[in-house]
Amino acid sequence: MVRRILSLRAGRLAAGILSAIALLAIFGPLLAPDNPLGSSSKTLAGPSGQHWLGTDYLGRDVFSRLLDGSRDSVVGAVEVALVALVVGVIPGLLSVYLGRVFEWTSLRLADTLISLPFLVFAVAVTALLGNGITQAMLVVGVLVSPVFFRVSRAATLAVARSQYVEVALISGASVNWIVRRHVWVKVLPAVAVALAQTMGVGFIVVSSLSFLGIGVQPPAPTWGGLLASDLNYLHYQPWAPVAPSVLIMATVWGCNLLADAIRDVSGETGRALINTRKAQANGLGAKRIPVEGRV
Amino acid sequence: MPADAVLQVTDLDVHYGKGRRRAQALDGVSLEVRRGETVGLIGETGSGKSTLARTILGLVPASAGRVVIDGEEVSGYRQRQWRTLRRRGVVQYVFQDPLRSLDPDVTIADSLIEPLLIRGVARGEALVRVRPLLERVRLDEELLARLPGELSGGQRQRVAVARALVTEPALVILDEPVSALDSANRVEVLEILKELRTSGVALVFISHDLGSVAGVADRVAVMYQGRLVETGTTREVITAPQHVYTRLLIGSAPTLRSGAASRADRDALRAALLTA
Amino acid sequence: MTILSELRTPHAVPTLPDEIVLALRDVRIYDQVNDREIVHGISFELTPGRVVGIVGESGSGKTLTCRAALGILPEHFAISGGSIEITGQEIAGLTPEQWTGLRGSTISAVFQDPASYLNPSIRVGSQIAEVIRVKTGAKRRQARHRALELLAAVHLRNPALVYEQYTFELSGGMLQRVLIAAAIAADPTVLIADEATTALDVTVQAEILDLLADLQERIGLALLVVSHDLAVVAQLCDEVLVMREGEVVEQGPTAEVLHNPKHEYTRMLIAEHEQYGLERYLEAEADRDGGLTRAG
Repeated sequence: MVRRILSLRAGRLAAGILSAIALLAIFGPLLAPDNPLGSSSKTLAGPSGQHWLGTDYLGRDVFSRLLDGSRDSVVGAVEVALVALVVGVIPGLLSVYLGRVFEWTSLRLADTLISLPFLVFAVAVTALLGNGITQAMLVVGVLVSPVFFRVSRAATLAVARSQYVEVALISGASVNWIVRRHVWVKVLPAVAVALAQTMGVGFIVVSSLSFLGIGVQPPAPTWGGLLASDLNYLHYQPWAPVAPSVLIMATVWGCNLLADAIRDVSGETGRALINTRKAQANGLGAKRIPVEGRV
Repeated sequence: MPADAVLQVTDLDVHYGKGRRRAQALDGVSLEVRRGETVGLIGETGSGKSTLARTILGLVPASAGRVVIDGEEVSGYRQRQWRTLRRRGVVQYVFQDPLRSLDPDVTIADSLIEPLLIRGVARGEALVRVRPLLERVRLDEELLARLPGELSGGQRQRVAVARALVTEPALVILDEPVSALDSANRVEVLEILKELRTSGVALVFISHDLGSVAGVADRVAVMYQGRLVETGTTREVITAPQHVYTRLLIGSAPTLRSGAASRADRDALRAALLTA
Repeated sequence: MTILSELRTPHAVPTLPDEIVLALRDVRIYDQVNDREIVHGISFELTPGRVVGIVGESGSGKTLTCRAALGILPEHFAISGGSIEITGQEIAGLTPEQWTGLRGSTISAVFQDPASYLNPSIRVGSQIAEVIRVKTGAKRRQARHRALELLAAVHLRNPALVYEQYTFELSGGMLQRVLIAAAIAADPTVLIADEATTALDVTVQAEILDLLADLQERIGLALLVVSHDLAVVAQLCDEVLVMREGEVVEQGPTAEVLHNPKHEYTRMLIAEHEQYGLERYLEAEADRDGGLTRAG
């Protein structure tokens, strides 16, 4: 699977971007040249040799704050996505197989979660569980999970009604077998696409919650938080939002590329695509197989 | 029950739906298939032939009657019991369209050994057991690594037949196995089925066309509107059909022989069937 | 017989029995995208009341041939050689308007999947009536009357009921009848039936084939019957063309082709029936009765 993803240009690009972001998240805080929280009288300064990206409204070094904030930002977004994945996908698969009662309950629960106001619920739960980035992301993850639930359920339903699953049943296959052997491969690409999108949402949510004092507490920096405060001083430093935006965009883009790559290599279309490329490389000049529109 | 029967269906009733929408799909069907025998099950769309097959496989619950498979009474079996029975691989099923009955993302080799893997046979051993089957269905070994989409329709259907045989079943039910194939492939699959008879496996060959099973079946059972209206040896049924529907069926089958039944004959039979 | 006289609209040009209503002369069809010839020359002639059949697998070029005769070749296919004449008129250079005038009222067709040619949200009767109104300029009430007659003409048991029904309420055989009714609504001289019975049960297939034979006899319809099954074609046709990979490998009167097949492919098609079909039993029976014995 990994090798096939890396054989696609989009897959290699995604791997490059995402590993860069991961390195940033791991080593970023150690690399910060300046104290990210230390303010100075040099407020809203432009880029210089000392402050590569200038300073913010309290005179803090923006470059240091970006590096320092990368860990919390990325960890937060990944947590949201993973929680949503686990909480959404597993019931999504099971809702097809565990019988009417589970199906009905899980569907209604998903509807309820969708209708809950996001931030208010997050405030309420952190009040109960204590404040911290993990608690906050847990809540957000649960709230986003209906997306995964729906996506995985839809994909599972389509496979569950297929004839090859019936053939397996006639051979005495268990639900476990069918999911592992036939369902999972078809659900994965859909889930991967949803995962990439959720990562993007994660960054925004981490910063929105910072405003409310939930999760990452000010003055600790996050990319989203930096972006939000930069927007307030757009008047003085119109270029300031570029740096955090580029990082967020790069991460989301990397995730989307990865999702595309996963979708392209899984399933028949993906394989056919790879075969075609090989054929083209070998000079056989096979016709291009169209892949469905991007998500 | 006779010792040599692999399948015995007695007075089977099947209903679909509930309450006022309840409709009878099978009405008192009795059928026996002996070891190594090929039985053609003929009927039009909605006549109940597929329902009968699905009931035998435990995919549709019967409302009355008995089904005995290989000496084992399965009426009233629960999911768990069905699974145990199915894992033994006594009865297998081949669908009409192999493109839909083979997982497009699973290689031919993995599709073929799936019934064995489900039974708990090790992968390596399963692959060894599959090889001799390839010869029987005339498939090249190099196809094993391919995906269903990379095979022709005829090759795919032969894969489906091979998979049904991999558990050495006593009975294979084939649901319109050659209807989706072109002439050359149809002949090839029919030949394979004919050869299978010598190996002792019993076949139930479902079709809407008596003509397509005539060359392979020892006996023919004709279904009409949920009932088994006629059974007999293939020769008896074709040359001396008793029921009006069977007569119409034979008169309707396109043959190279001109004047097998005239239009007037068919019109008379249709009218008789309507009033019956 | 009243329907027959009704079917003949006053403006329809009476065709002489020996007039050639459809002629293909060495027609070649070319695939412009893949840069290769798909049909390598096919010729036959249809006169009123005559039935010609084409037998071949999918991909043999038989459907493309039909589409060429109807002027509805898919996008990148073109007639690259030979000529097609419909009632004496060369089709090369026909304008779209001229084609519209020709299709339905001179040459018409039915295909394999009847449901896809009808609108699921409009009553089938209204759809036939619309064809009549467009093609003959009949008034609404007149068109309805004719549509009901046509539904009766294709042996639907309760025309008034079927008229009011939607596609999903009708079986495959009934839908194909409705489609045939629509195809003959404007009184064409040629009807093309391309795998028109392939998706149907054997008994229903026989009903549709009987209906086609009936129409051919009653109104002198010239039929082009296309099928993958040699027996279907043999049952109906005066002349048979056996196609394989775009090539006509055998052509001749039906009896001649069946009794004295020259090409190996035709022999295989016949063997399929003789070894695996009903023929084996029926022949034996006939021989015992001292009845038909086959030459060759």
